[in-house]
Amino acid sequence: METSNRASSAALLHYTPAYNYSIGARYEWMRGADIRMHAIQPTYLAKRWFGKEYQANLYLTGGIGRAEGKLDQVSTTETASFAGIMADWETRSLFASYEIRAADLGKLGNQTMHAARIGWAPYEGDTGDLHTWLMLEIDRREHLSRATTVTPLIRFFQGPALLEVGYNLSDSKPLINFTYRF
Amino acid sequence: MNTVFFKSLTLTVMLATSMTALADHSSEGPDHDAMSGMQHSDHNHGHEHKHQHQDSAHEGHEGHDHGSMNMAANITQTDEVAAALAAGGAPVVVDVLGVVCDFCATAMNKIFGKRDEVAAVYVDLDKKTLSLVIGEGETLSDKQIEKLAKKAGYRIAAIRRDSEALGG
Repeated sequence: METSNRASSAALLHYTPAYNYSIGARYEWMRGADIRMHAIQPTYLAKRWFGKEYQANLYLTGGIGRAEGKLDQVSTTETASFAGIMADWETRSLFASYEIRAADLGKLGNQTMHAARIGWAPYEGDTGDLHTWLMLEIDRREHLSRATTVTPLIRFFQGPALLEVGYNLSDSKPLINFTYRF
Repeated sequence: MNTVFFKSLTLTVMLATSMTALADHSSEGPDHDAMSGMQHSDHNHGHEHKHQHQDSAHEGHEGHDHGSMNMAANITQTDEVAAALAAGGAPVVVDVLGVVCDFCATAMNKIFGKRDEVAAVYVDLDKKTLSLVIGEGETLSDKQIEKLAKKAGYRIAAIRRDSEALGG
């Protein structure tokens, strides 16, 4: 999984031994402060709700590792940890999600991120078809000067591959997320 | 961690709690295990679905409200399914809850496709069904199907076999 948004670029390689948990290695470059974090990231599906027409999920995630950055022009390495919660609800044509993640990077600072999304699929693709979603994300990152921003994006989804391409209207920066399930 | 972090985390936990409370009141309920609670009382569309437990593969199969699913979709005829049926396989159609995307389909295909008993498998997002063809001479009980669906992360609402699965 690769993510790149207005604040950071990240790669996550994870293994899912059972449907409700995974363990992965995460690398994240927080571009603004030029902090690079390497961490082990477990994710747990705490709850899944099922309906004939919908599915909803509650995920818990966290991680621990090292963060490298500069403090008063001096390179430093700190123990880094983060915790997050994500909830989503989706049908074949509607989607909503909310995510929060907080990171403690030691002397390199703390970061908190909230992101809420809504989405709509203009058509309902069947198995193996190309699925297309139009989405709008509102995020809040209190450590950035422009804390709250809006990103419209398009999600393309086919078989094991998912690609999201968007553009942050407030910060004029692209969003590119890619996920592949082996 | 700073105050902002704890405030944010508290807010999220509150939101998550609210969501749980809402979901607890839904007709699907969050605490269903494989087959318990599949009453679908809110989904009873007056459809009289006569499900006859006529083969040994239904051993241990209890608690389904087969009258509640009005879809009664037939098996989806892909090339693989047609070939497996032509080779003498037995058709099974499973109504699945929560199958809304291709990732769901991939997970189900992977889990069921690994089984030796399964000659063909196809997840139909439109019908919200899992179509299986059980190889000639093989059996896969309802209980095993429930277990495999749960392993893939999903729940089943009904299982139809043989002529029912073919729409006969």
